[in-house]
Amino acid sequence: MKRKFEHPAPSAREQTGPKYWRSLDDLAATPGFKAQLAREFPEGAAQLDGVDRRHFMKIMAASFALGGVGLAGCRRPEANILPFGKSVEGIIPGLPQYYATAMPLRKSAIPLLAETHQGRPTKVEGNPSYAPHGGASSLLAQASVLDLYDPDRATAHTKGGAVLNAAAVNDLLAGISQRFAATGGTGLAFLAEESASPTRARVVKLLRRKFPKAVWAEYEPVTDEPPLAAAQACFGVNVKPLYRFAKAKRILSLDANFLSADSGSLYYAREFAKGRRVTKKDDPMNRLYVVESGLTLTGSMADHRLRLASSHLLAFTAALGGKLLSTEVLKPLTEGLDVNQKWVDECAADLAAHRGECLVVAGNHLPAAVHGIVYAINAFLGNVGQTVDFVGVEPSSAASISDLATALKGGAVKTLVILGGNPAYNAPADLDWAALQKSVAEVIRLGYFADETSILAGTHLSAAHYLESWGDARTADGTIVPVQPMIMPLFGGLTEIEVLARLAGEPTADPYALVFTTITAIAGGEPEKAMRRFLHDGVLAGSAYATNAVAFDQRGARALLREIPKLAALSLKNLEVRFIADHKMDDGRFANNGWLQECPDPITKISWDNAIMVSPKLGKELGIDPKGALLQVARKEENEFSIGKENARVFELAVGGRKIRGPVHIQPGLSNYTVVVPLGYGRTATGHVGKGAGFSAYPLRTSAAMHVATGATLTDTGTRLLLANVQEHWSMEGRDLVREANLDEFKENPAYVSGIGMESHTPSTIGEVGKKMTLAQRSAQIPRGGSLYDNPSLDGHHQWGMSIDLNTCIGCNACVVACQAENNIPIVGKEQVMRGREMHWIRLDRYYSSGTADAGAFGGEGNRELPEDPQVSLQPIACMQCELAPCEIVCPVNATVHDEEGINVMAYNRCIGTRYCANNCPYKVRRFNFFDYNERSLDSLYLGQLGPSGMPELVKMVKNPEVSVRMRGVMEKCTYCIQRIQNGKIQHKVKVAQAGSPGDVVVPDGTIKTACQQVCPVEAIVFGNILDEKSAVSQAKARAHDYSLLGYLNIRPRTTYLGKLRNPNPQMPDYAALPLSRAEYNQKNHPAGHGEHGGARAHEPAPAHGGEPAKKEGHK
Amino acid sequence: MSKIFPPSANKLPLQIIIYLGVLVGLATAGVTYYMTPKYTRVGYAPVQPVPFSHAKHVGEVGLDCRYCHSNVDQSAHSNVPTSQTCMNCHNQIKLTSPLLAPVRESYETGKSVPWVWIHQTPDYAFFNHAIHVNRGVSCVECHGKVNEMDTVTHLQPLSMAFCIECHRDPAARLRDPKDVFNLNSQTLAAQGKAEQAAKFVHDWKVKPPQSCSGCHR
Repeated sequence: MKRKFEHPAPSAREQTGPKYWRSLDDLAATPGFKAQLAREFPEGAAQLDGVDRRHFMKIMAASFALGGVGLAGCRRPEANILPFGKSVEGIIPGLPQYYATAMPLRKSAIPLLAETHQGRPTKVEGNPSYAPHGGASSLLAQASVLDLYDPDRATAHTKGGAVLNAAAVNDLLAGISQRFAATGGTGLAFLAEESASPTRARVVKLLRRKFPKAVWAEYEPVTDEPPLAAAQACFGVNVKPLYRFAKAKRILSLDANFLSADSGSLYYAREFAKGRRVTKKDDPMNRLYVVESGLTLTGSMADHRLRLASSHLLAFTAALGGKLLSTEVLKPLTEGLDVNQKWVDECAADLAAHRGECLVVAGNHLPAAVHGIVYAINAFLGNVGQTVDFVGVEPSSAASISDLATALKGGAVKTLVILGGNPAYNAPADLDWAALQKSVAEVIRLGYFADETSILAGTHLSAAHYLESWGDARTADGTIVPVQPMIMPLFGGLTEIEVLARLAGEPTADPYALVFTTITAIAGGEPEKAMRRFLHDGVLAGSAYATNAVAFDQRGARALLREIPKLAALSLKNLEVRFIADHKMDDGRFANNGWLQECPDPITKISWDNAIMVSPKLGKELGIDPKGALLQVARKEENEFSIGKENARVFELAVGGRKIRGPVHIQPGLSNYTVVVPLGYGRTATGHVGKGAGFSAYPLRTSAAMHVATGATLTDTGTRLLLANVQEHWSMEGRDLVREANLDEFKENPAYVSGIGMESHTPSTIGEVGKKMTLAQRSAQIPRGGSLYDNPSLDGHHQWGMSIDLNTCIGCNACVVACQAENNIPIVGKEQVMRGREMHWIRLDRYYSSGTADAGAFGGEGNRELPEDPQVSLQPIACMQCELAPCEIVCPVNATVHDEEGINVMAYNRCIGTRYCANNCPYKVRRFNFFDYNERSLDSLYLGQLGPSGMPELVKMVKNPEVSVRMRGVMEKCTYCIQRIQNGKIQHKVKVAQAGSPGDVVVPDGTIKTACQQVCPVEAIVFGNILDEKSAVSQAKARAHDYSLLGYLNIRPRTTYLGKLRNPNPQMPDYAALPLSRAEYNQKNHPAGHGEHGGARAHEPAPAHGGEPAKKEGHK
Repeated sequence: MSKIFPPSANKLPLQIIIYLGVLVGLATAGVTYYMTPKYTRVGYAPVQPVPFSHAKHVGEVGLDCRYCHSNVDQSAHSNVPTSQTCMNCHNQIKLTSPLLAPVRESYETGKSVPWVWIHQTPDYAFFNHAIHVNRGVSCVECHGKVNEMDTVTHLQPLSMAFCIECHRDPAARLRDPKDVFNLNSQTLAAQGKAEQAAKFVHDWKVKPPQSCSGCHR
């Protein structure tokens, strides 16, 4: 029987009203945006410019002629096989090897397993031996491999421009050591980065014993650990907090971006997800309150979010502390605080109701007083020892960069050794570091790049990458981890400990020997064995910082509260500037990393640039105002926004006479008068990639106001800058993409997702027969439903599938870069991103919803206000491997087909580049190589055959040999890491064949992991065989809140999503009975208030909803 | 007005059509034959830096394939032996043979002997040795009777058609797992043990991929 669809007739509202909006232009539905939606590829994406047609024909004719003369293609060129002369133990050509190592960053490290192919590291994964991370790693760790093969890295030691060989460097260092030995180091100064390396600490101790009068200073421009002074004052001991988020049922973050900007973020994110994950209706779920000035990833996960200036957070903390601790002492601090008192009271009440299982976390940049009050609150609530442990740490005995600057000014320093860092770029502006450094007679710089600091230094020593170095480090919880080299230093780089040991005049400066001595002394036992174990495991068991049973000392804490400046009201004339470490560039050290530059910021979605972020309210006051009938953001003219190009206005930001210029980006969710400026861009001396990207905010930053500055003003310069903003790309026209519910609704109706979307109106696409089948049967037999066409069945031993939990995804973007590293995905450059040609196989869509976006008002009269406080929903999107894939039926050459195991595969060598498949893909996940991005340099793409061709040898080394490097004119997309699947299956079959049970060909669950799954710190991505009912992915898909994106299209995606949940507190003043996106969904789809079709015409009878809160609109 | 064309010119169009037809036919046949792997690859027997004879080492001395190609049952690549492997024996025999000079030099300097790659699949085809030799596909199927070759010669086209032919009907090509490295052995089918071959396919769940993802990534 022919199936009858009962689509409700679209209302005028439906046709005009997106439910979710990904950018302000999306919400505004400007004509430009609509025109873009209607196109297959963004404008310009499908055009060749820079070369006109005539010129093109000329070039092509010439190359055809050359091809004809040469006839070089008839025989393949002779190739050689080059085996080793002498066998190398353990190396099997064709099989990767894995070694434990770690990526140190400031006082923490990420334990890693590095994958090497014939001695060439190509990819890193988290080390599963380190339990707190569970095998996860971070965005920065994933991208760090690319730095190793950066053609722009410093390749030689130089002195005054002349190259120094290794022996000359050793002589130079020995000379300094001897010269200062007599005077005990008078006139010698060091500036280093922070580090928790036990070996470095030991060598530094030796060095300072030899040169007691030398200055040893450390400097880090950004801070990812709380100030030690606060803990010292409150507890009388040197401790730092380690949070146990998994145990916390109520969490309050005070400007703390603990999910991505803390030294322990990986561990915290993982633990947070444990408390957040809901698998069945009785599962508990934590509740997150966030008070913050910017919009961070942590804020995007909040159940209740309060926008408050960072400089007012002390007052807020005091108000909360006063309420919780029932004390009047903190009252004076709260003067001038302008927040809804009910928010504070109810939040405090909720925390108080969860003694011992709640947690208050303060941002690392906040003053010690805030931390002091927070420690008091946590102690009072009985959280110490439950949700927060305090571990003993070694206080730093290093001088600060300001102390060093004073010494330099006095002219007492004759030789300055700068180890790492980049003070000429990122030192506080009031120190005028460049001039100070130039005033020193001899400056020796150990640096990875010949950067701003090296240019001003007489001698530059090139540093080794951590994948070329012997060393050690400590994770955030203090576990000692090895830094093990994967490859000999490519350019003879030196490690920091080697340089220090030489300066200290140690008899041995071999970094391995130095590490060996340190580790074996700590580990005890038989040295060789202990070291071997340490390197094998990648962690030193039992070496974590010891937990300290701390007692809160009120008197000490009160000392922190002295001399608190009065709270100043913020306004247009007195703005607050918040400096944040960029999510990708960190403090600027990753500026030349193309993977990170191209990865869009998780919230702003801007790539290749930073921006001065202002709130919509401030934007309006600055005159960036919607004009006419349409909302315009950061621009006045209609249609000025086109396709990934954000035509931002350049403003001058001034604080205390210091000025910087940068493009302004209007960012919903910011505190009204807080201006957020990411650091790390605007490098003047770096490689090709980092040069010219963004602006530097360091010139605004003084040692008095490193994190938050007030008294800033913004003035329009009248100029514009185009930003590459991917948020307009690949839009899905606002369907019911992210399905959300509050926890209360979920408890009543775990299958709430089936009441949302087109599927709730249409008959089941799999028919009555299909509904009776199990998931495994459905995946293999592909029920035809009401279709005339009988779908071919899939007969593989496995049927692969994926489940993504939107409830735990924090949007950190680690999957984006992990995929890029695994699958040889090229970068395309800012110019190409602005045309919508980025190549990422997985992307994170970020949707805003305000709950007030009235569909009828879109583009019309009515809603002219830019929402200031939206909820954020994040959704990772990659190829869904549809069982009935629409891309396959349009491919004229069968380049994309289905395999036996349900994967929609791409045969690159067959693809002729018609792009029909991308046109027919409803998810917009296919990517096209418009140029030969791998072979051609990004600044000469338009020169075509006339431009230089060929990949630098160094860059070739980072490519994964298991994956084809695609060329121009080829479509590509996610394949569930087909290389990992094939190799996993082969290795399993070989194993069982050799073990004598060759018939057990089904790979055990969890053996094969996709790159995105492996990196995910919150375990949001689960991948596996859905024929196996016990597999993790089958169990995830069997949950009630599992849904298919655009499921009504009957394309049956193999990737499905678990709905997002929010857990708001009904007592809070900002409580919303429905997630704001649902409110918008209902406003658009059910304006008359007849409710969602949870059970009406849908196939899944939804349980009755009783006791729904009264505030909801148009719901059931 | 006199005639420009003689009457015989009337046949010209037909002649041209026939001629062109033959030409196109020949060209097509030529291209399909001479430019396919069957022609371009089969018979390729380049001169190697050392005239190593498989016939002598395998056929006469009786070395197992895996003595030199030691990782063939573990890795995608069948490794070519290191010079050290050669020197295991040749530090005892033929110590001064000039033919072995490149091997001795390589062993001393650590530099590779530049063996010429014969059985080369395209970069986009990811062939895996381990899975084939562990599951009943003998070396002979692709490389021929190397144990009788003085100079290794490319015997099979190793084209996609060649691969797919076997992937579609694995039973015809399987050997007893014991015979995989015995280059003189016969396939089960050739021994008339078709039933045993079918049982092998069934018990081992032999299901060679016939989709792109089997070889192309």
